[in-house]
Amino acid sequence: MIRCHLLNGEFGDREFNDFTTIADVIDHNRRYLQEMPLDVIIELLARLGKKLIQNPDLNSLPGVGYLSIWLRRKNLEQICRINYGDCRYLDTFVPVNNHFEMSAQPRGIVCQWVAANIPTLAFFSLAQAILSKNGSIAKVPEENRALITAILKELSDTAISCNGTTYRGEDIVGAISLVSFEGRDTEVSRMFSLTADCRVVYGGSAAIRSILALPQKEHCETIVFGPKYSFGVFDREYIESERFEKALEDSVKDIVIFNQMACSSPQVLFFEKSRYSLEEIGLKMKGYFEHLPPALRHQDTDPAILASIINARSRYLLSDHQNIITPADLSWTILMDSNLRLEDPIHGKCIFIKEIGSTDEVFDLITRKIQAITLCIHDEERRRAFAREATYRGVDRIVIPGAIHDYDQPWDGILPLNRLVRWVILKNES
Amino acid sequence: MMLTPTDGLNDLLQQPAYALPDDEKKQVLLLIIRDQLEGAIKNNHHLASLFSKLHLSPEGIGRLEDVPPLPVQMFKYFDLRTCPEDQIAKVLRSSGTTTGITSRVPLSKNTTMNQVKALKAILKEYLGEKRRIFLVIDHEGINDPILEFSARTAGVRGLSIYAKKVFYLMREEDGKLVLNLPVIEELLSRYQDEAVYVFGFTYIIWSTFYNQIKEKGIRFNFRDVKIFHSGGWKKLKTGQVSKEYFSDEIARIFGTTRENVLDFYGMAEQTGIIFVDCEYGHKHVPNFAQVIIRDPYTLEPCGNNEVGMIEVMSVLSDSYYCQAVLTEDMGYRVGVDDCPCGRKGVYFRFQSRIEKVEVRGCGDTFRE
Repeated sequence: MIRCHLLNGEFGDREFNDFTTIADVIDHNRRYLQEMPLDVIIELLARLGKKLIQNPDLNSLPGVGYLSIWLRRKNLEQICRINYGDCRYLDTFVPVNNHFEMSAQPRGIVCQWVAANIPTLAFFSLAQAILSKNGSIAKVPEENRALITAILKELSDTAISCNGTTYRGEDIVGAISLVSFEGRDTEVSRMFSLTADCRVVYGGSAAIRSILALPQKEHCETIVFGPKYSFGVFDREYIESERFEKALEDSVKDIVIFNQMACSSPQVLFFEKSRYSLEEIGLKMKGYFEHLPPALRHQDTDPAILASIINARSRYLLSDHQNIITPADLSWTILMDSNLRLEDPIHGKCIFIKEIGSTDEVFDLITRKIQAITLCIHDEERRRAFAREATYRGVDRIVIPGAIHDYDQPWDGILPLNRLVRWVILKNES
Repeated sequence: MMLTPTDGLNDLLQQPAYALPDDEKKQVLLLIIRDQLEGAIKNNHHLASLFSKLHLSPEGIGRLEDVPPLPVQMFKYFDLRTCPEDQIAKVLRSSGTTTGITSRVPLSKNTTMNQVKALKAILKEYLGEKRRIFLVIDHEGINDPILEFSARTAGVRGLSIYAKKVFYLMREEDGKLVLNLPVIEELLSRYQDEAVYVFGFTYIIWSTFYNQIKEKGIRFNFRDVKIFHSGGWKKLKTGQVSKEYFSDEIARIFGTTRENVLDFYGMAEQTGIIFVDCEYGHKHVPNFAQVIIRDPYTLEPCGNNEVGMIEVMSVLSDSYYCQAVLTEDMGYRVGVDDCPCGRKGVYFRFQSRIEKVEVRGCGDTFRE
């Protein structure tokens, strides 16, 4: 059984046995989106961003502040430019030479399996489908549905005038449907997959594997944002420079955001041996954790994660060459040792910090699952060389502390908007 | 005369298991635990490391709540022996149900003796003075000493100390449990006027024994019967079976009433202590143990009716760290000293296991 929470611009729950009706409505309504100039779409989304930050009911909700910044016109234009090269491709045929023109057409209906770990993830996903003029059917986790619905209602109430024409956000929302169904229901999952002209999948290994095993249309494109891992690296010179304190403070913020549940959340910080002992560095971090605002310091954490934190703390207390720095409660945890390895994520602001002999030692730890490294190497040339090698080995993003969660494009090594469109050509006789 | 910790423990084991008011018990336990922790730190560098990193010394511990609890998982990763190695008589290996990694619990003769005495003291409160016929709702192979300890074997081995004769009501056939009909027929024809006690793993009682015995229309009618069961409520709840319905149905099979069907809570790492339901459905803590319910986030002790992680403290072992073990079970304290059943001390209820979290996102692994 499929529960549909948004269809044809109407918010409210309806039940369906299959996706036929939903797909028909979305397929019909996506024509209005396709006819809207990309610049207008960007302006409507940018207006939404401003409205979100001004709405007291929404602006304090997790991730909404960042979303409103991400929706700035300048950022959206940059995203489109990076993905499409020339934004005109979305609206018309653009000459490549005298006989050859190119354009980007939406793929059609984008079915999205959205993970629960980031409250605003569904909207980021929908925004990319909008910026590529696709219709969307998104399977949104129940716990985040109210937030996404509220954002889409704001978009629905947004309108702009351009060259005498009024463009309405409701035409964008009309091309979106929010659904929910039991993921273990293989028949419904199969129907959902077969509805898609493009599948966008977010999640951990098990979820990704089961969704990829579903049948799909022959022409269907699949974009996977799968399991990833992030960490940080600091070299000696950087640690001993005046930049270090700020970088450490920003690294703590990176750990805290999303309660360390995102693929971009750092799980381990490696520190090259320096004049500061690992314990001294840990104590500096302790200060930043202690000064977190209560809403960030105390975030809802699953009891199983709390049990994992308790276990990790005890393991480090019982081991001879490991130690911990913790408060009395489980709001954050620093686990210290010098074992050169990545650690299984515990989440809930539980950070492993490790002393290493040289930053180059971490190269052998890099797999294709590494999404981001916050790289603090003092010498710019050395930093670039490290980045070149690390990205060759599999890292997708080399970033600075405080920016690890910035939803940049490309993401996970992918230019998503580029893959959400079909590149089409028009050849002319003369 | 000054009471020594050893005197204190012997004294606790000789008294009726639920006789001591909580305040009085806490003082006695603290004295014994401090003494046991001195030995633990001396004999185990892991524990010495833990106390040193926490800047804690046994004599500095002023309350039972301040004894550092070790998560039960630590028995899988560390040797938590607290006595010299030559005093270890055997190592109990408990098979893990989720991780597959085995817990190791080193037992000295003294510890084993204390555990037996403790269990007898507890069972005496429910079964009276005399040994009884013991009916096991499982197959005989479950008690094979070669097998690793599991929740199933723990109950059978532990409870058998009160048995004058043991009967296994099930047998294995092609890897499946089926009724052991010759034994059941023998019981029906020769032992109906006896007092018996029964033990089975909750899920096995329900999923195999109950269905098969109902199908055959068999009813027992013993002179006196107590049915103990433990573990496996989650699977029953999935099947929409309430504790009350379970108790009524099983009581009917044995010709008794719901009050004689006793759920208990226990673990291999705290052998010797089981927390049996009283007639009011409360699990009681005996003299030689304590239960603290801790808030899983603040780790502070919870008040009555606040759900938290169950920590089990014990003074039975001088050979491993049993003094404070934090389980991955959730429960809540119902009260202290004032259960209508008359038993003193803390009484609580088990609520659920902490289920392994399913990572619902993309930040889960670095392995390819």
